[in-house]
Amino acid sequence: MNNELTRILNSRSKLPRTDLTQFNRDEAAEGGCGVIGMASSERVAARHMLAALAQMSNRGNGKGGGIAAVGLDAAEFGVSPDVLHNDYLLAMAYMDPAARAEVEAQYIHPVFEIDHVREQPHMADYTQITGLDVRPPDVVQYFVRPKAAALSAFRAEHDFMNLPERAVEDEYVYQNSFKINTTYYASLGEKRAFVLSHAKNLLVLKMVGYGDDVIRYYQLEDMHAHVWIGHHRYPTKGRVWHPGGAHPFIGMNEALVHNGDFANHASISEYLAQRNIYPLYLTDTEVAVQVFDLLYRTYNYPLEYVIEALAPTTERDYTLLPADKQRIYSMLQSSHIHSSPDGPWFFLIAQSDEGGQGEAVYRLTGITDTSMLRPQVFAWQESTVDGETVSIALAASEKQGIDAAMISLAAEDPRFWSRADRYWNARGGSHTDGGAFLFSVHDDYKTKPKLVLTNKFGEPVKQPTSRPAYDRAAYSPAAMALPTGSAAELYDWAQTQLPSWSYQQAQDFLAGVEASANGEANDAGRARAIELLSLLMDRRYPTGSLRRSSLVSLVDASLERVMAAIKAAPSEGYVYHTYGANVPKAANLTQTLILDAQGYPPQGDDSVGREVQRIVEAGFRYIIVIHLRGQRFIGNGIGTNTQDVHIHTYGSAGDYLASGMDGATITVHNNGQDQLAQIMKAGRLVVHGDVGQTFMYGAKGGSAFILGNAAGRPLINAVGKPRVVINGTCLDYLAESFMAGDPLNGGGFVVLNGIMFDEDGQIAELETPYPGSNLFSLASGGAIYVRDPHQRVVSEQLNGGEFVPLSEADWQLILPYLEENERLFGIPLTRLLEVDGAARAPHEVYRKIQPGSVRALQAEEAWVTKAKTPTTTGGGH
Amino acid sequence: MANIAGKTDEQLIVEKHIANFHKGFAYWPRAEEAPPALGDSRWTQDLILATWLMAETGQVPDNGLEYKIGASGGGFDVLDFNIPSQDQWLPADTEIDLSLPLNRRDDGAQLKINIPMYGGGMSYGSISEHVMQARARAAQHLGTFTSTGEGGYPPSLVPYKDHIITQVATGMFGVREETIQYAPIVEFKYAQGAKPGLGGHLLGDKATDVVAAMRESVPWVSLFSPFPFHSVYSVEDHRKHVDWIRTTNPRALVSVKVSTPTDVDMVAVGSYFAGAHIVHLDGSYGGTGAAPEIAKKNIAMPIEFAIPKVHKYLVSENVREEVTLMASGGVRTAYDVAKAIALGADGCVMGTAELIAIGCTRCSNCERGRGCPFGLTTTDPLLQQLMPADWGQQRIVNMYNAYAIQLRDLLRKLGLKSIRELRGRRDLLRYVG
Repeated sequence: MNNELTRILNSRSKLPRTDLTQFNRDEAAEGGCGVIGMASSERVAARHMLAALAQMSNRGNGKGGGIAAVGLDAAEFGVSPDVLHNDYLLAMAYMDPAARAEVEAQYIHPVFEIDHVREQPHMADYTQITGLDVRPPDVVQYFVRPKAAALSAFRAEHDFMNLPERAVEDEYVYQNSFKINTTYYASLGEKRAFVLSHAKNLLVLKMVGYGDDVIRYYQLEDMHAHVWIGHHRYPTKGRVWHPGGAHPFIGMNEALVHNGDFANHASISEYLAQRNIYPLYLTDTEVAVQVFDLLYRTYNYPLEYVIEALAPTTERDYTLLPADKQRIYSMLQSSHIHSSPDGPWFFLIAQSDEGGQGEAVYRLTGITDTSMLRPQVFAWQESTVDGETVSIALAASEKQGIDAAMISLAAEDPRFWSRADRYWNARGGSHTDGGAFLFSVHDDYKTKPKLVLTNKFGEPVKQPTSRPAYDRAAYSPAAMALPTGSAAELYDWAQTQLPSWSYQQAQDFLAGVEASANGEANDAGRARAIELLSLLMDRRYPTGSLRRSSLVSLVDASLERVMAAIKAAPSEGYVYHTYGANVPKAANLTQTLILDAQGYPPQGDDSVGREVQRIVEAGFRYIIVIHLRGQRFIGNGIGTNTQDVHIHTYGSAGDYLASGMDGATITVHNNGQDQLAQIMKAGRLVVHGDVGQTFMYGAKGGSAFILGNAAGRPLINAVGKPRVVINGTCLDYLAESFMAGDPLNGGGFVVLNGIMFDEDGQIAELETPYPGSNLFSLASGGAIYVRDPHQRVVSEQLNGGEFVPLSEADWQLILPYLEENERLFGIPLTRLLEVDGAARAPHEVYRKIQPGSVRALQAEEAWVTKAKTPTTTGGGH
Repeated sequence: MANIAGKTDEQLIVEKHIANFHKGFAYWPRAEEAPPALGDSRWTQDLILATWLMAETGQVPDNGLEYKIGASGGGFDVLDFNIPSQDQWLPADTEIDLSLPLNRRDDGAQLKINIPMYGGGMSYGSISEHVMQARARAAQHLGTFTSTGEGGYPPSLVPYKDHIITQVATGMFGVREETIQYAPIVEFKYAQGAKPGLGGHLLGDKATDVVAAMRESVPWVSLFSPFPFHSVYSVEDHRKHVDWIRTTNPRALVSVKVSTPTDVDMVAVGSYFAGAHIVHLDGSYGGTGAAPEIAKKNIAMPIEFAIPKVHKYLVSENVREEVTLMASGGVRTAYDVAKAIALGADGCVMGTAELIAIGCTRCSNCERGRGCPFGLTTTDPLLQQLMPADWGQQRIVNMYNAYAIQLRDLLRKLGLKSIRELRGRRDLLRYVG
């Protein structure tokens, strides 16, 4: 270590110490929290965070929530831009109002020049927020600079002679806050006050409640910032009463929220203690942000190295790195093995890099753990408005959070619309993007700030599109006269027209579709409109000069109007059902019930999942669920006698959809979330998008068709005969411990096509059909059929499996599934068999992976009595 | 192949073995001489013989066999009750209530068991189908429950479904929507005290065609359930998991079976807040011969430490009256049950004791398909005939009846009218180590 660095760490040894044994471990076991972050070239109002957090409230339990904002609006704080950029924003939380005078007298007035003091407004009566048990702290914000005398004394005391002024200032503020916290929060039994945040142009607010309650209580709805992060936590203890343990946690110039937890909290704490850093709140999140601050501010690592130290590149990904990177990463890994969080986690970090030299970077960084136990979803939308680039990037624990924020934003700001141009997952520790993304807003204080997206390696994220977005100008469409024909025929016709259409013509077309569905006695028109709009929403196709995300937003709105018309005038073919109403009896087997999910609670007897059960019991065989905002458990518990039940979901269908399904068909007209089709036994699941974690965990059978990708651990421990087509790829651990018999003899398999779609819906091959290191690990049955004409998947990625040539019997087995895949998604079989423009034979395109020699003959096998008819038969029907 | 009296050689051999076994199980508990090499310090020779005697007679052993404690030198063996003087005992004819409500929340069915014990999860494949049937029928007869373990739900158990807990464990073997909907109680097995950090396992030579068919896996391949649930990495995920089961079967109670790490109190409270009706702590002394020796007794916290730790924490969180706390992991006798309850549990979950009752000698060959000489932990259809289900059912019922006599007797002497009054009465225990 160099001398300056050693001096900084040594200087902290003089800080007061607290006996932590007196603390309850309030935060010890929190985990899958609701987390969202956004960064934008525009300052975005907190109410859009509120919308996202409110939607994810079933990811918290109201025992802790918080937000951080970076890149604030000086006027909203009553300061000049100069003060905002140059002063430290010391935000104090006072639980005990009497503590304020003491803190100010001891730790603020003597040491800081104060440019401005602001008391954070809040609701007069906290009990007006349901479920808020504890009065949130009063918050006072001080815009300060350390006094010159105090600073030079500090410099002299610790011999910081060669440290830049800014580094000394930062360290001074950091240590001053540490003293405040040990005196007023940690060391006394009563927790009277603590520092919420102390960086320049960064503010943290948190309390015992939900994250969205923070925005409500402190009346932040109209507060604006370039970067936001928000968090609900789910601590296990019952009576958490103090806000210090809520996220975000701060280092110096950053605030961090965290989803998940890690197992080596003790080891990391020890690592920090060796560097005189002592966390105060006993949470793994706090140690994480302290490590980040140590590496970034004190050690001065580039962000890439900070990320590598936290989420090391391992296994095959490491071997695929260039040699010079391997050398550095290897050093980083061996230096930081004890400070690298181990377990399921991802971090969102809001950073304020106020350079003080006439520029600043407000940054949102999302880092995913290497074992991919907690993947996050990223999204990006960008357009040009009046010659200026307007962009927003988001990261969240689940796509529904992003959807809610974008819908909220689009509803009031015409520069945004509800669908992002691009959504993607990160594979932690990936050699291609590092599994981490940095959304940096560059502000030169003069011109409009710019949002720049890069991956861990500093490479720019590819622009999703250059086509103009729909400008949202007021336009009254005139219904276009449509040709006659089925929805499919109309869809085909639209394909021929779209390349030449403007947004206005597209709206005229949609108006025509809506008009053709009008009228009570027009069930055929309604059916056609719903099917056609779904195709336009689900399929990937050339959109000419139009941007896909804008066009699909228009289609969303069109479907919304068709549904509203059904609500206004139900018919023999369509009934509309809302929360609170009694479930009607089905008039006949073909009647469709539209279930409006708005207002249904996330779980319990009144949940959408239970309502769907009642609707099936009432005799409906066609159910369309709309306005989903993450509600879970759709299709759960509807029973075995459901082969003729068809459920369609629109909006954000939540976790566990189709789990346990035993006969029905469910179609998800969007991405699916986590734990879909667990233990599924029979039936069919179609997802016009991606699926999340542990898709079909422990599945026994049924079929599934996925247009996009699966996240981590799809089909783990699946048995029996599940048959699955995944057109994209998976993060990793596909079909681990797969036990699905012999696929050529009734067993199960996964077809992995490894394709993606370009902007015009044309099929393109992914760089590799499977990027992870663990494919079909420890499998004893079933098979993977991977479309891999260039043989990019290698044996090293298998752990127990083996490649074998595709036989004619294999092809005949998967052919009907690929044909069905074509019907469902419009992915032509002929295109799948095309490589570099030339048609190939199936065995030149698809490779089969089967279990290797998973077993020797067991001693008992030779002579245990073979029961011809088993005394009991497995599985059931 | 018909032979004597129209029976096959196989039938004759089985009958002969059964007759000899039954003779032996009846003989040894009352024999003058000691049997050769029976028992270990946890399950002593006396305890095994006493359990056989109780299973035979349904009565408390009266021939000097030590039936209350083993010789481990620790755990329940160094705890005893402070029995007050005889004048403070309740009258002999006092009605003593052993029943235990399992649901203390205001949702779900109000289930009650007649004795403060139910059977722990042992899977189809780990034990024979006959043993499962014996346990299920005994549970029905006694008014309590037994658990499927993680190996599927044999159709022959469906008639007893109101007394069978469906276990959902990390491999999800044999679990499907229908078996979740059968169950009055669904048990999540997050971990086992005998081998925390490891999932369930069934070695290849127990995974016969029939066993594999029940799990829909590949025959003769060793089956390892993962650890942990790959869909549950946090207490929030756990709540979702509970909500999923409650959506699938809204009337089912949810039991959460966990081992006993040092923060078991946090785990228990987290489980409660996620909606569990029953928190089931599985300590380190349990496990059959199939659990690895290196894991047994060496990882989890002993159950007698875990119970009071969790009990006190639930009390301090003001939720003790809303959750049922069951304990298992080396609970061998009626006195172990009473001690666990005095330490703070509501009741106990029994595994090995039931196997002893039907002839287990603790020979530790449970991991092999044909390892069990008594046909208990076998997957061989021939060997399993050595333990007929109706015989096993009666033995298990008898053992619990003998336990009930002892529990009532103990409670009467302690001046308590109900097993529920014993809970958390650590003052009634003393250390005798």
